[in-house]
Amino acid sequence: MLEILIVGAVSSAIYAMLAVGFTLIFGVARVLNLAHGSFYALGAYGTYFFTAHLKWPLLLAAIAAIAVVAVFGVFVERVLVRPMRASQLAVLMITLAVALVVEQAMFLTFGSEYRNVPAFVDAKFHIGGVDVAGARLLALGVGAAVIAALWLFIQHTRLGSAILAISQDPQAAQYMGIPSDRIFTVVMALSAALAALAGILAGPFLTVQPTMWLLPIVKAFAIVVVGGLGSIPGSILAALLLGYAETIVGYTVSTSWTEIVSVAATLLMLVVRPAGFFGKRAAF
Amino acid sequence: MFNKPVDLFGAAAFIAFMAVLPLIFPGNYLIGVLTVSVIYGIWAVSWDFMSGLTGRENFGHSLFIGVGAYTAGFLNTTLGVNGWWSLPAAMVMAVLFALLMGLPTLRLKGPYFALAMLSGAVIMQRLMLIFWEQTGGEEGINGLTPLIRNQLGFYYFALGVLVVTTALLMWLARSNWGLILRAIRGDEATCQAAGINVTYYKIASLMISAAFAGAGGAMYAHYQLQVSPQLFAVVTSITIITMVYVGGMATIYGPVGGAILLVLLTELLRNFGEWRLMIYSCTLIGILFFLPNGLIAPTWRRVRASLGAKE
Amino acid sequence: MSATLLEVRNLNKHFGGLHAVKNVGFDIVRGEVVGILGPNGAGKTTLYNLLTGFIPPDAGATIRFQGQNILGVAPHRIAGLGISRTFQLCRPFVGLSVLENVLVGALGAGGAKIAGNLDARARELLQRVGLGGKEAVPVEVLSYGDQRRLEIARALAARPALLLLDEPFAGLGSGEIDDLSRLIRQVHADEGLTVLLIEHKLREFMRLVDRVIALDFGEVIAEGLPEAIVKHPAVIEAYIGRDNTLDLGAGHAA
Repeated sequence: MLEILIVGAVSSAIYAMLAVGFTLIFGVARVLNLAHGSFYALGAYGTYFFTAHLKWPLLLAAIAAIAVVAVFGVFVERVLVRPMRASQLAVLMITLAVALVVEQAMFLTFGSEYRNVPAFVDAKFHIGGVDVAGARLLALGVGAAVIAALWLFIQHTRLGSAILAISQDPQAAQYMGIPSDRIFTVVMALSAALAALAGILAGPFLTVQPTMWLLPIVKAFAIVVVGGLGSIPGSILAALLLGYAETIVGYTVSTSWTEIVSVAATLLMLVVRPAGFFGKRAAF
Repeated sequence: MFNKPVDLFGAAAFIAFMAVLPLIFPGNYLIGVLTVSVIYGIWAVSWDFMSGLTGRENFGHSLFIGVGAYTAGFLNTTLGVNGWWSLPAAMVMAVLFALLMGLPTLRLKGPYFALAMLSGAVIMQRLMLIFWEQTGGEEGINGLTPLIRNQLGFYYFALGVLVVTTALLMWLARSNWGLILRAIRGDEATCQAAGINVTYYKIASLMISAAFAGAGGAMYAHYQLQVSPQLFAVVTSITIITMVYVGGMATIYGPVGGAILLVLLTELLRNFGEWRLMIYSCTLIGILFFLPNGLIAPTWRRVRASLGAKE
Repeated sequence: MSATLLEVRNLNKHFGGLHAVKNVGFDIVRGEVVGILGPNGAGKTTLYNLLTGFIPPDAGATIRFQGQNILGVAPHRIAGLGISRTFQLCRPFVGLSVLENVLVGALGAGGAKIAGNLDARARELLQRVGLGGKEAVPVEVLSYGDQRRLEIARALAARPALLLLDEPFAGLGSGEIDDLSRLIRQVHADEGLTVLLIEHKLREFMRLVDRVIALDFGEVIAEGLPEAIVKHPAVIEAYIGRDNTLDLGAGHAA
């Protein structure tokens, strides 16, 4: 029981990081970024590369990986997404194409075998009679901290208010002189960095292979739909729900069913309540 | 719009070319490649009919393909039914799935419909793996019997199905059906105000699209003589969409050329082995940016203009 | 065949806390041209959306068309029963030609209702609205005034009994307004249509309508002949505030 509580919390934290980044860029720029899963993958692969091939210390490798992914995210937004922004479907196609290119690039560079992302904390901890890997606890802790920091940032800084303004009413924000384009870039970098961080934290205990981008994006989409597009509290709540739902299913039924939980939840939500729990913009 | 003699001439020339090619360059390798390209053509044309005309892009077309293929697999191996029943059965199953998926998802806005269909395909792929005892899991179903033992014979059959499919769907697209679908693409609310039952048309066109995709899936199964969960993969759906983009969205005939071109290209790139999919994906990005109207249809329009000028 | 074409009683609509349409009730007699007047936000388009089934009214409403209850009927069915509408912002079917746009209108109401060739009917309608010769033109290229005419042709294609026009003169210059106004009068006479017309420009109204229903904040504040409405204190207040004069020539208010 305690194990479920902890493992569920860890999953939720990772999913929350993924979902919040995804919902941020959607809320601000109306971009459904299917390459978001690639940022997650690149975070993990980047860290692997820097540590295994360049022999850098882990912390440095992680920071470098996040930075590289953030820059890549900005590149994708500026060069590939921006010209297509008139059509949401075009953006969907182009980001999906990017995801495929990244997948193939990882495949060509690193092969299809599972790679190893080292953990920050190797120790195992004993909590209330349950063995928990330090890496999982770290993921939980860092994830929660980062999301809290992001929330504070959005609520209490000028940039944060600008982000909120644009996501609520893009035209009004423009009239008020808020530099939307520059903010898209910042948000994309943030979103990518969050995804990369999630990949780095989860890498040690989740599989790292070229197709690892697909399930995270399906789940991020699931969470964002359930929680409500553009709503950060919604994403966090939905991430918790889905993280725990998956964990419970995994422990009680079987692990192979876990992947279906989020996808099925999405479909159900889209059908029953397309605006999600807190969404302002329905998928309708 | 494809109603002049020059168009019939072009179609006939294309069919003749495709029929004669394996006779000029004999060998099972080429026949195999052409067969696969023709089946992809069926899939691409079926996608274009619904998504191209209505503008509601379906990212989960592989769902119908996989359903058709697995239906064929089950009927043929587990139930021992003659392979020729696979086609109608596959079409029925695919249509049922289209109804099942379409009813709740077609009222969603574009990107959400696309992703909902994608989710559907992902779920099916997962289910095939979860119920591995019934479906054979990763290995899938093996040992299907071929429909026509002669490779060339099967190729001509597939080519025939492609021609019939394309002709039928083009006819529908040019009829009042197609007009309504294109109007739906323009503005759904106005369509409703004009008295058109938009939901009916969207679902019906999805079902038609699914039927042909499923048929293609069954044919593919009886060609490869095996069925695997890979058929449900995202890559399949995206490949088909790429073929339609290359061919020319909403033209119905363009995707035929797109499919054949891309499959042939992929074969030529065999030497590049692992780089194939990478080149493919980069091509997609290139097309989206530089040739949004595609390659095949605009080229044909130019050709027929120069030919038409003579007539 | 009763003279009352449309009967509306106790029509209410809440959007969350906003009472957008309040206890609206009226009768529309066959063959009338009735104007719906109201400043922006008065609930006019919402009224149309309620009548045509795009949004459901609050409980307790009655809407009868040709004696038949049309509450809860899907929009496309309502159109099929004989109510055609246009939209405030012109919405032609992009990607289709002018002729195709009208054809869709004819197809929509069930081609069976229309005897004979749909194509011929569409072309005839285009001639009537003054778009003859532009059949093959893609709609994106049309001027706004022509798009308005196209909308009317499309709405007429289904041989409606009741035509709902939503601010047909919005965005048009005064010459175009006169032309369109004449067209509406003509079509009304030729086809024996009943027309409901939303506008907030008074001048055009006066010449076109037999009767006016004035709305403000979702309620009917006055009903009657145009000359009487214009002098009605509630209407004046809604439009101009406390000013006693309402200049017919000035056109719009608020």
